[in-house]
Amino acid sequence: MAKIDLDKMLEKIKDTQWSLSDVDWDAPGAELITPEQWPKLKAFMADLMWIEHVGARAFAAMAKKAPDDTLRQIYTYFHAEEQRHANAEMALMKRWGMLEDGELPEPNNNLRLVIEWLDRFADDQPVYVLGTVVPMLEIALDGALCKFLLDTVDDPVCHQAFELINGDEARHLGVGFSVMEMQGHGKTYIELIRMTAQLMDPRLILGIASYFPLLNKMRDNIVEMGLPEEKLYEAMRKFEKIGGRTGDGRRNPWFQIIKHHGRFVVDRKKRFYHAPIDALVKVADVIPRKAFPEVPSWVKEITYQPTA
Amino acid sequence: MKKNQPLAQQQSPADALIIGAGFAGLGTAIRLQQQGIRNITILERSDDVGGTWRDNQYPGAACDIPSNLYSFSFAQNPNWSRSFSGSREILEYIHHLVNHFNLRQYIRFNQNVSNLAWDQDKGLWQATTTNGDVFSGRTAVMAQGPLSNPGWPGIAGLDEFKGKKIHSAAWDHDYDLKGKRIAVIGTGASAIQIVPELAKCAGKLTVFQRTPPWIMPRPDFTTPDWNKTLFRKAPVSQTAVRKALYLAHESMALAVIWNSPLTRFAERLGRWHLRKQVPDRWLRRQLTPDYRLGCKRILVSNDYYPALQKPNTKLITWPIDRISENGIRTVEGIEHQFDCIVFATGFEVSNAGTPFPITGIGGRSLNEEWKRGAQAYKSINVSGYPNLFFTFGPNSGPGHNSALVYMESQMDYIVRSIRTIQSLKLKALDVRQSSQDDHNREIQSRLAKTNWNSGCQSWYLTEDGFNATMYPGFATQYAKQMSKLELKDYRLLAAEAESETV
Ligand SMILES: Cc1cc2nc3c(=O)[nH]c(=O)nc-3n(C[C@H](O)[C@H](O)[C@H](O)COP(=O)(O)OP(=O)(O)OC[C@H]3O[C@@H](n4cnc5c(N)ncnc54)[C@H](O)[C@@H]3O)c2cc1C
Ligand SMILES: [Fe+2]
Ligand SMILES: [Fe+2]
Repeated sequence: MAKIDLDKMLEKIKDTQWSLSDVDWDAPGAELITPEQWPKLKAFMADLMWIEHVGARAFAAMAKKAPDDTLRQIYTYFHAEEQRHANAEMALMKRWGMLEDGELPEPNNNLRLVIEWLDRFADDQPVYVLGTVVPMLEIALDGALCKFLLDTVDDPVCHQAFELINGDEARHLGVGFSVMEMQGHGKTYIELIRMTAQLMDPRLILGIASYFPLLNKMRDNIVEMGLPEEKLYEAMRKFEKIGGRTGDGRRNPWFQIIKHHGRFVVDRKKRFYHAPIDALVKVADVIPRKAFPEVPSWVKEITYQPTA
Repeated sequence: MKKNQPLAQQQSPADALIIGAGFAGLGTAIRLQQQGIRNITILERSDDVGGTWRDNQYPGAACDIPSNLYSFSFAQNPNWSRSFSGSREILEYIHHLVNHFNLRQYIRFNQNVSNLAWDQDKGLWQATTTNGDVFSGRTAVMAQGPLSNPGWPGIAGLDEFKGKKIHSAAWDHDYDLKGKRIAVIGTGASAIQIVPELAKCAGKLTVFQRTPPWIMPRPDFTTPDWNKTLFRKAPVSQTAVRKALYLAHESMALAVIWNSPLTRFAERLGRWHLRKQVPDRWLRRQLTPDYRLGCKRILVSNDYYPALQKPNTKLITWPIDRISENGIRTVEGIEHQFDCIVFATGFEVSNAGTPFPITGIGGRSLNEEWKRGAQAYKSINVSGYPNLFFTFGPNSGPGHNSALVYMESQMDYIVRSIRTIQSLKLKALDVRQSSQDDHNREIQSRLAKTNWNSGCQSWYLTEDGFNATMYPGFATQYAKQMSKLELKDYRLLAAEAESETV
């Protein structure tokens, strides 16, 4: 993949918009969900939808920090597009009878931590921290979760919706990796030092503390649904491959960090990593609901209704 | 001023052919008349006077500048009912000017100028209107308004919408808004005045924002009666208040025009205002500007933020994808449906080109010359277009003070020039290209240091980022620039001899 022209990309994004009313959510096919699939699918979709929504918030933070106007506009669109994915996935849940009228699925505790962190600190993060973490999450989603979903679910409306969603995701990844390379361009030793200093920022450490368990938690979910966890790891290795395809990309210090972290995630033998993180997942699971502050108001913006 | 003067002779050609019957056109006529020049023709495309204040009668329309300063110094009004007057009251003031100074005799209504051309042989400007009528004048004044042509946004599907469409600058007062589902597109000066009013009557009100404006608290109050009496009995007191307001606004230039500690202070004031009025963190984030204060127009309002938080009102910051039959589709995939869309999307600004063709000496076209950004000498004359005067020409825009203060300097400059043309019996007074170039070199180097040129997009700038709109300095500096007619900067062509004098 050659470096993409961001101005052209922005035009393309504007030209390829879709909306929930482009899909007939009442078309036949909902009955293809088997009763034994149903409960697991419900849990899976709820997490997926929340991850989209969290990704949306990350793009909102990136838009504020974008180095130029084109990227700011692109991230503003991506923010809205991730919201659209969450909305569409909720519409699928509604179609499958997984939501009461007006119901919002409950986010799991790991997600609640990530939501809290994003709400408090995301806007203060340098753009390349999120600019590296987000493509990692996106590739995990795109490469593993969505593909897996389409392999298991026969409902044609689900396939139609994910075709639209994946069209967007391809552009997200294209921009994501291209920006990582831009940021790696001309990186020096000094930058590395500066970046290490940023790592010491307690706000970032908190972010890491919520992001790491999220990945392990997703791994657990996937296993629960019967997907070989190898599929997730394959996707994460794809991040390493695409992100590191050029010198610039490899010089991006954040790429290096996330890459190494990815290697830990996919290797269960790295006990020194997984033991504490799995413990964190467990800890998160037992945090009482009451312990969380009220959800920020951006969380309430999602809807399964195509018109308002 | 005598009320019942004999009807002006209205011979053709007029001594001054004025295009537009807003503040600028009418004010110029008053000042000319006061100097004994009465052979004036004013061409107005509408059927009434008032310009901005005739067209902008949307709910909540009001002035952002205290009325005591937003009025002519030579015709002060002791009766303003509020510190910031509403559109209607300003329009009444304009009607009062027209009656008091007996201006109606000069005005040709329903004459929409579509072409203006210089006839070098006759030494006349010829204005052709869409009716096919032709009017000529020895001098011409462009007073067609800086913000007089409604601007529509470039959103796909604009014509597909089946509901009601209203532009803020052409309000339809017959349309009943009560209980309706209403969208407002835009969050500029007009929108923040409209939204609080619509929030009172709409069933559902949705505000679509692309860029949040900086909004300052507005010190608005009604004028107590003793105050009006004082102003009537002792006009000096009103002049003193006007002077004080003028200086207060002048000091704002320090925050608005240049990046100074005062800019930081004003930004802090804006953020404080937001924090005080908007408790929700996410909404506050959506409403927080991420560009330097002063880069775009600064707004004042006390009721905009509260209106956005009413139960029937919602702010949407998702980008708009397109307008559809039933409403507005935004990128988060939802179609927001409405009975009525209000376009508070501002005006077409001619900072790159002219509103209608203007032809000068030897057939040169001003529209062509201004394609890459308008340029003039002291905002008022353009070389090659003799005897032609611009009100609110290039780089005359105020960012921090009353437009009328700038306008008065322009009007006086025009009157002085026309008197000079008459007394020296000139056929043409044409500014020298070199003087115009010198002026612009200085203006542009001063502009480079201002907030307007600090990197955000606004209607102040052309698409290439050239600032042909704003004046980079205090109103006092502008007044000084306009206070003298420097004849050495002009080529003078005598009426009898075809040779150049001076
Ligand atoms: C909503 C709004 C709020 C504003 N608030 C403020 C404020 O608070 N403070 C401030 O200082 N300024 C404000 N302004 C700026 C305002 O435009 C000026 O203050 C002032 O009113 C301009 O007067 P004008 O005579 O130059 O133009 P206008 O009032 O626009 O008058 C121009 C006239 O020319 C006519 N015309 C236009 N084209 C043609 C043509 N081709 N042929 C014939 N006639 C034509 C128009 O119909 C109009 O009557 C505001 C403007 C708007 C739109
Ligand atoms: Fe997505
Ligand atoms: Fe994405």
